[in-house]
Amino acid sequence: MDKVRLGGMKQSLELCQFDLRGPDSPERIVPRVCKLLASQKINIAFLTYNHLKTEFHQLTMCPSQSDFSRTSGILGATGALPRGWALQSREHVGILTVYPHHSPIKIIGCVMVSWAASSIPIYGIATSLSAISFITDYHALDKGIEVVQNFFQLPDDHAPIKPDLTYYQGDEVKRGKGN
Amino acid sequence: METIAVYWESRIKTYGFQRIPEVALIELSWPIDAIKSLGEILTSHDIQGFQAPFIAGQDADRELSFVFCLPEKAGIAFHACLEQAGISTSHRYVYPVGIIFFHGPHFGDRYGIARAAFSAISKAGIQLIASGCASSSVYLILAQDDLDRAEQILTETFEVAK
Repeated sequence: MDKVRLGGMKQSLELCQFDLRGPDSPERIVPRVCKLLASQKINIAFLTYNHLKTEFHQLTMCPSQSDFSRTSGILGATGALPRGWALQSREHVGILTVYPHHSPIKIIGCVMVSWAASSIPIYGIATSLSAISFITDYHALDKGIEVVQNFFQLPDDHAPIKPDLTYYQGDEVKRGKGN
Repeated sequence: METIAVYWESRIKTYGFQRIPEVALIELSWPIDAIKSLGEILTSHDIQGFQAPFIAGQDADRELSFVFCLPEKAGIAFHACLEQAGISTSHRYVYPVGIIFFHGPHFGDRYGIARAAFSAISKAGIQLIASGCASSSVYLILAQDDLDRAEQILTETFEVAK
């Protein structure tokens, strides 16, 4: 069987995952939580919000693993979340992002089938214009990449899958720098 | 190697806002233990070729809770596939919804982007149906009638790079 062509693939740094679930409407919870984390300069690398079948809502966020303790402290503090909201967390996750040429539905399906066959969990998915991101255990990323490479054809001149640069947002502007 | 980027912007710059109206939204919960069967449905010939402007999934109590945003015809076909799958799942079909999305430089590496977007939408009283922020993109799924106002609010909040 011909391999499905992909435009590329990359993995994230080590992240953690927070799932917030509750009965409220998102007008309150999503901006509230984002504001709390931004006030402590915590980046959210991945976020999804959805309505669950139970009539509850869920907000899933992935900050850096190095921010796990700070984020837990902020979200777990008394009064941080609206009444009725519960917090669950998972440490040591990572994101594999694939860049499909086309047919994102087929590619999501292929990853689901191939990862399930290798017992690699999926904790979250989000698509954008050119990418599909899958959350899994950080320690499972290498295996997940190997499985995906068996299924898909990457370009010959593919860039490194592991991040070779780490970007942080600083908050100090030197004179004459920045805009 | 570590790179520290400093963005000093009075308004966060984006590459512009794009809208997709008239989208069908399917909310679907699928048992994690049976995720392979959903993958097989997605790779079936009936629907694998459909364009999907937005898909998101979350782990929720041993299920993956999905949002599929599809063109109307694809939404109907997908809904029918789910009905025929014979797996006990819960799904809901909503039509129409609208999508507004945007991206910007290193959005995935910078704090404060989500706060700016969601605070603006919330202050305007616009209800969020679903959302996904991954890589450098922010996707907001809204009621179709809220698209104009959302774009106006976001344009006031963010600066569109020229």
